[in-house]
Amino acid sequence: MEEYERCVRCGSCLKFCPLFQVTGEEQYSPRGKAYLLQVMDQIEDDQELGKEFRQLLFQCTMCGRCAEICSSDVDLLEIWHRQRARALETAPEEFEYLESLRESLANVKNIYGFSPEDRAVFWIDELIDELPNIEDRIYAPGKTAETVVFLGCLMSFRATQVDVVKALFKTLEKMDADYLVMGAEEFCCSHPLHLMGRDDAAVDLRKHNKEVIEATEANTLVTCCPGCLIQLARYHDLEGIAVLHHTQFFARELETLAPSHSAKNFAYHDPCELHRIMNVRKEPRALMDMLDIEYRDLDAACCGGGGLLRMTDPNLSDKIIEFRKESENLEDMVVLTCCPSCREQLLNAGLKTRDIVELLFDSLAEGG
Amino acid sequence: MKLRDVAIGANASIYYKLDFKRIKGVFYPRTTGELSQVIKMASEKGLDITMKGGGSGLSGACTGGDSERVMVSTLQMNDIISVNLKGGYADVETGVTPDELNARIGVDGYKFWVAPSSRDIATVGGLISTDGGGNDAWVNGTMRDNTIWVKMLLSTGDEITVSHEGVRADDSELEARLNEIGMNLGDVASAHGTLGAITKMRLKIKPIDGQRLRGGIAEFEDANALGNALAKMIDKQIPIAYGESIVYAHPHIKSILNPPLLILEYPEASHDVLSDITNMRQLSRNETDAMKAIRLQLPKRNPNEGVQIALFEGYGFHDQSLARLQEAVDRIHALLMENEFVPFAQYGHAPSKWYLGDNTPAYGIIMHSREIQPADKSGIEKFKVVKQIVNLCKELDITPKPEHKWIFSDKTKLDRLRELRSVVGTRFNSFVLDPNCDRILEAMA
Repeated sequence: MEEYERCVRCGSCLKFCPLFQVTGEEQYSPRGKAYLLQVMDQIEDDQELGKEFRQLLFQCTMCGRCAEICSSDVDLLEIWHRQRARALETAPEEFEYLESLRESLANVKNIYGFSPEDRAVFWIDELIDELPNIEDRIYAPGKTAETVVFLGCLMSFRATQVDVVKALFKTLEKMDADYLVMGAEEFCCSHPLHLMGRDDAAVDLRKHNKEVIEATEANTLVTCCPGCLIQLARYHDLEGIAVLHHTQFFARELETLAPSHSAKNFAYHDPCELHRIMNVRKEPRALMDMLDIEYRDLDAACCGGGGLLRMTDPNLSDKIIEFRKESENLEDMVVLTCCPSCREQLLNAGLKTRDIVELLFDSLAEGG
Repeated sequence: MKLRDVAIGANASIYYKLDFKRIKGVFYPRTTGELSQVIKMASEKGLDITMKGGGSGLSGACTGGDSERVMVSTLQMNDIISVNLKGGYADVETGVTPDELNARIGVDGYKFWVAPSSRDIATVGGLISTDGGGNDAWVNGTMRDNTIWVKMLLSTGDEITVSHEGVRADDSELEARLNEIGMNLGDVASAHGTLGAITKMRLKIKPIDGQRLRGGIAEFEDANALGNALAKMIDKQIPIAYGESIVYAHPHIKSILNPPLLILEYPEASHDVLSDITNMRQLSRNETDAMKAIRLQLPKRNPNEGVQIALFEGYGFHDQSLARLQEAVDRIHALLMENEFVPFAQYGHAPSKWYLGDNTPAYGIIMHSREIQPADKSGIEKFKVVKQIVNLCKELDITPKPEHKWIFSDKTKLDRLRELRSVVGTRFNSFVLDPNCDRILEAMA
């Protein structure tokens, strides 16, 4: 029996689905999509409907909230992964824009098509004045450390992430941490391929990363990106290495922090892949509590930046963040989060945002 | 045809295999004006109109059967128009859910007191169309008891307001004709969308009274003992604020349950009289909440292997049939097993209240049922079992399906709807009144 046949179509997932919230139409909802699969035998002869359905599968943020609230225990997230893979297999010509991403990952090992060597260039240029020894932290064969940092594509290449990268390394330095960063030896974690259902194309990327990580002899691997965290923790077969989100790492390592004196209007946004898929909920809050920050929890909903939606349907992705901006009155807030993808989405919507590590560094710099 | 024309068929009933080619348009109006245009267009083209709310109902009425039709979802007509705490009512659009209304008025200490397990998605328009109730219907009544009026658009383009007292309309002749035949809110309740499109409703809201309630569980030797206890509670009119029964639970979901049992919340003052009827084991607040959560999820749970199905939604036991609950359950189980359906769960609001086809109230238990479906049964075979269950209900003289859950063979209600449709028009959800309704449903199972 296919997993989607277990859906009893009760509809409890509708109002939680970010796609349904902004479109209001059944076909975008988890129930609608599961239903379409259940009646596929009646419509599969219609080529146009088949094409529309394949497109619909990529109009989803893969946030997993539908699976979380499903009382029938239907693994909806797994269904969407499988169906995406099937869609790409059935009609690759309909997904040329995704094929170019796959080719980029195969050729230059990052999602932007930049030269692999550039992975440790942009952010070093930004940091070198403040941390002159940062280049010593870049992994090279023979170098070892207790902790290895996996930056991920977004934080390695995007100017919008530089403040977070700076805060991360400055915090590690302040803590006198023994660490290395993978630099140009870091390949994409393969999360985009996973979201396409193309794990088969991820083998070489994962194999390379595993070899480099193991060569560092690190006992801890830290990443700021929840997508990378999923891949590194679950699909890289790393034995004897604790794979941690940066909030987990800092919550373990830091015992006290100077209270933040910021009187800003803070709200905390849980990144879906972090809190729902990787179950990391307590550590970001523990750090904010240590900083004595007052904040309100936002609805545990997707910002619209997940599931490759920014690539497959940017219009819907924009609608989701605009919906949240309005429904949760985010205009005058500083939205705290700890995910580079969420950060991009929040900044695109003109919202003020900070990563928790930025607040950590502020505190340490003040002598905490 | 587009996928939106297919996806509109998603609903929780066993009737989900629609003939999509007969759907001639799907609409999600945001306003009464937009809905009015849809109705006008459908009327001009001679198409039937099927209204759909949350699609959580189990009767299949929101499918529209096999009529050439337009399908109209009310999910985007979901404004809470105004709240009048002092007046004790809220004016809402038809697509609002009880949870949404309660989120809004809860901060002021008020509540809309209809709480079906589908309250997160079922719309108030859909709930009045099935006259749904919740686990507190015994004290708070069904949807009709909590509705002051509804506004409806008819296929003629007229708008009418229907209350318990009668009908108001701008067209005085129409108003007179409808009042002459005594149309009121009881007719709209459980009409399954056959009279018109509900657009707005005035709903009763009441303060959350803060009354101290005691939680308890009563386990019974068999279902007859449970039925007899319920009959006594009804006779003594004990104001049970929350009442749920679990008559049977399959081992996969049985967990800590020991059915037959009742989960109750009741005022402290009622404890002694309840204790005279049955042994109540007191539950802490957390234990009560845990039991309520287990019950709430029963309709949506699946077995460890296979899929559950609701062949027949509402077995209504009231008056004399309560004392024969066990015999009825045994016969139902035997019938299911003969047809290779494994009983999965039987449960329901109890004590509860509902209305029969002639609008008289009934008090007892509305027992819902879920079965594990065999992998190789066709829709036609499943529907044959449904018809056997209907016949068994008649034979056992248990209320043959509380009509708000099973309109299709309630002659009293159907005759009344035909009478009303001769005035308000026959454009809405006609398949419900089709003499071949059984065959239509069979094809969709």
